[in-house]
Amino acid sequence: MIDPLFALLIAFAFSGILAVLFWPAKGIYATYKKAKRNTSRVLIEDALKHLYDYEERTVKPTLRSIAGHLSVSSDDTIQLVEKLQSMGLVESNEDGIQLTPKGRSYALRIIRIHRLWERYLADETSVKESEWHLEAEEKEHNISTEEAETLAAQMGNPVFDPHGDPIPTKEGEIPKRKGMPLTILKNGEFGRIIHIEDEPHAIYIQLIAQGLYPGMQVKIINAEKNRIRFEVNGEECVLAPLFAANVNVTPIQKQDEITSDFKSLSSLRKGEKAVVVGISKACRGPQRRRLMDLGVVPGTLVIAELESIGRDPVAYNIKGATIAIRKKNADQIYIKEFSQEKLN
Amino acid sequence: MTAIQTNEREKLIASANTLRWEIGENIHDSIIETIYTEAAKIANKAVRVKEQKKKYSYDQAIDRIVTSKWLGFPIMFFLLAVVFWVTIEGANVPSGLIASLLVDTLHPILKNFIASVGIPNWINGVMIDGAYLAMAWVISVMLPPMAIFFPLFTLLEDFGYLPRVAFNMDNLYRKVGAHGKQALTMTMGFGCNAAGIIATRIIDSPRERIIAIITNNFSLCNGRWPTQILIATIFIGGAVPAYFAGLVSAAAVVGIALLGIIFSLVVSWGLSKTILKGEASAFSLELPPYRPPRILRTLYTSLIDRTIFVLWRAVVFAIPAGIVIWLVANITIGETSIAEHFTNWTDPFALIVGLNGVIFLAYIIAIPANEIVVPTVLMLTVLVAGIAGVGSGSGVMFELDSVADTSAILHAGGWTVLTGINLMLFSLLHNPCSTTIYTIYKETKSVKWTVISTILPVIMGFAVCFFVAQVWRLIAGS
Repeated sequence: MIDPLFALLIAFAFSGILAVLFWPAKGIYATYKKAKRNTSRVLIEDALKHLYDYEERTVKPTLRSIAGHLSVSSDDTIQLVEKLQSMGLVESNEDGIQLTPKGRSYALRIIRIHRLWERYLADETSVKESEWHLEAEEKEHNISTEEAETLAAQMGNPVFDPHGDPIPTKEGEIPKRKGMPLTILKNGEFGRIIHIEDEPHAIYIQLIAQGLYPGMQVKIINAEKNRIRFEVNGEECVLAPLFAANVNVTPIQKQDEITSDFKSLSSLRKGEKAVVVGISKACRGPQRRRLMDLGVVPGTLVIAELESIGRDPVAYNIKGATIAIRKKNADQIYIKEFSQEKLN
Repeated sequence: MTAIQTNEREKLIASANTLRWEIGENIHDSIIETIYTEAAKIANKAVRVKEQKKKYSYDQAIDRIVTSKWLGFPIMFFLLAVVFWVTIEGANVPSGLIASLLVDTLHPILKNFIASVGIPNWINGVMIDGAYLAMAWVISVMLPPMAIFFPLFTLLEDFGYLPRVAFNMDNLYRKVGAHGKQALTMTMGFGCNAAGIIATRIIDSPRERIIAIITNNFSLCNGRWPTQILIATIFIGGAVPAYFAGLVSAAAVVGIALLGIIFSLVVSWGLSKTILKGEASAFSLELPPYRPPRILRTLYTSLIDRTIFVLWRAVVFAIPAGIVIWLVANITIGETSIAEHFTNWTDPFALIVGLNGVIFLAYIIAIPANEIVVPTVLMLTVLVAGIAGVGSGSGVMFELDSVADTSAILHAGGWTVLTGINLMLFSLLHNPCSTTIYTIYKETKSVKWTVISTILPVIMGFAVCFFVAQVWRLIAGS
């Protein structure tokens, strides 16, 4: 029989080795996978996306901007651009580097896959929103056009990604970018968020942390030089112009009800009644469909009926049925006070 | 289709796509809202609601008690304890009757009959001692507990109580990233894991459903309770003074079941943090109104849909396994049987983790049903240890009425208290039975999840047994 102490030591050493190898995100296997990512295909595709992005924003790309975007040395960038030229994807002349039609269609194909995948992550999985873009950045290089089409068909050919960006069609058509930065709106003006830029990542994380989503209505309270105060879903938000510039809005006419003060369903105490105003845009995919199917639509009367231990979940009476909803979801359902008006 | 028509169609689709960009994202929401508004309008015109306040308040009164802070959990534990107690106590007599009919009476008759018509002995062995006996065993030990447990459970469900259990327990399950209804499928798993896995259909969110499926095996099923009770009586009860024995061994079995619940929570948490992190997730739980259970319908559905269904799958797997069990004990290479070769070969490793080769082999060949593990262990121990005068020949599974005799055989096979404890742990933490594995595949339609649900508990079983064995040896100093 093996000495038990020795056996334990061996076992600990073995689990230690396994941990070093397979630790999520930091293990040797994960590091190796990350390192393998920067293949020439990935570089080509990322460079094309960068060129397309600049073209759309009518900024002139330079070798330096490409090098910065891809985090590669300038020598490598020159080689890369030469390669792109020999493939007929870009041309460079005195005006700088430009996409050829072939290159543009390639870029749009990658963007299509990227946005489809973000849509998929948002609707069909519970991957966190701060990770959608990063995961799609990886995935866009690994999905074939056919797989992307199957995915699109399964989701009912969506036309917008979860940030509000239009998804290019299979043929490479895409509407012109509309809207304007939030910074343009004046005091007292209303707008609807149509797009939240997901790059740079650090700014994007700040924006979603504020609870901003495409489709929300905003009202500017006070726009100053170094800070913009605005109202969104009944809550006041303050952003620096640098951040606000990454939020695109379309101006809309003054709305009567939307920006009055809403409470969320989770604030309802046992026995209290309220009327549903809407479901937050943050609640999407199966959970949103489920809630709507149960009758959580604007105008529905809800009554908090039972509280579980710790007040989570709480059971509500919705259209005659008792439905338990977790606090996290109840937070995303907006309500207004019940008044004796006519109800659905 | 002509070229022009195709062209027209392409144009139409293209303009539809452009329009979809114009419409924006909210179209689905608007459609649903419009449907509800229209439906409400029609309902307001056409439907008259009678006053039904009374019935409703009676529902609320029950709800207030069964979900209350202080009474909710005690009521739940009490009801479940009653169900288990009735199942275990109530199954003894019918199990004995079926066993005496199928095993003690019919088995010798069939064997003699086959021998009398001149069919060779080995065919008789394979078919009767192997296939028939395994089937008979599975039926006699599986049928009665299931036929009691499932109807009782279904009655609670039908009455409307079980969703309240999920409501009470959801707080805990939310913290480990699972669905409150997993409390129900886990409880169902105490009856039978295969049925528990079918029951996960009530979880509508894909991610939480997979978690419930993978962790269901940590519920100590009906087939494992007798093993736990027997081994606890012999080794744990035997290790303490006689007046404590009953209490301590009962506590050991309950402890193993609780350990299973803890493992199911911990593993749920681990899964939801790692491999199941990105799967889709949704939660909502309907608490239906209470209603008097429909006894006859309940009996019918729970007996046909659950009991017979599960039993049938078990029998289908038991027959080939019975044949394998007989063959490994009777086919010899050189002077010794395959079974002895295997146990000798695995013994060194098995002893390190505090088990033995016989247990390994029994868990491999008795994969169709946990119920036949103990008979197989006894048969193999007698065979390998060369004990004369017990059992009815190699390859014939048996059980003894007397716990003392069973204890004597196991001790003669070299078992210690550590072997007993580790067998109890391994019985909790090992691969699901073949019926359950097949059911997992049927429900998930995924080889990946089936393999994970099968392998994960075995790895955990080995790891836990290993550490227990080493620590035991360090403390005991042997």
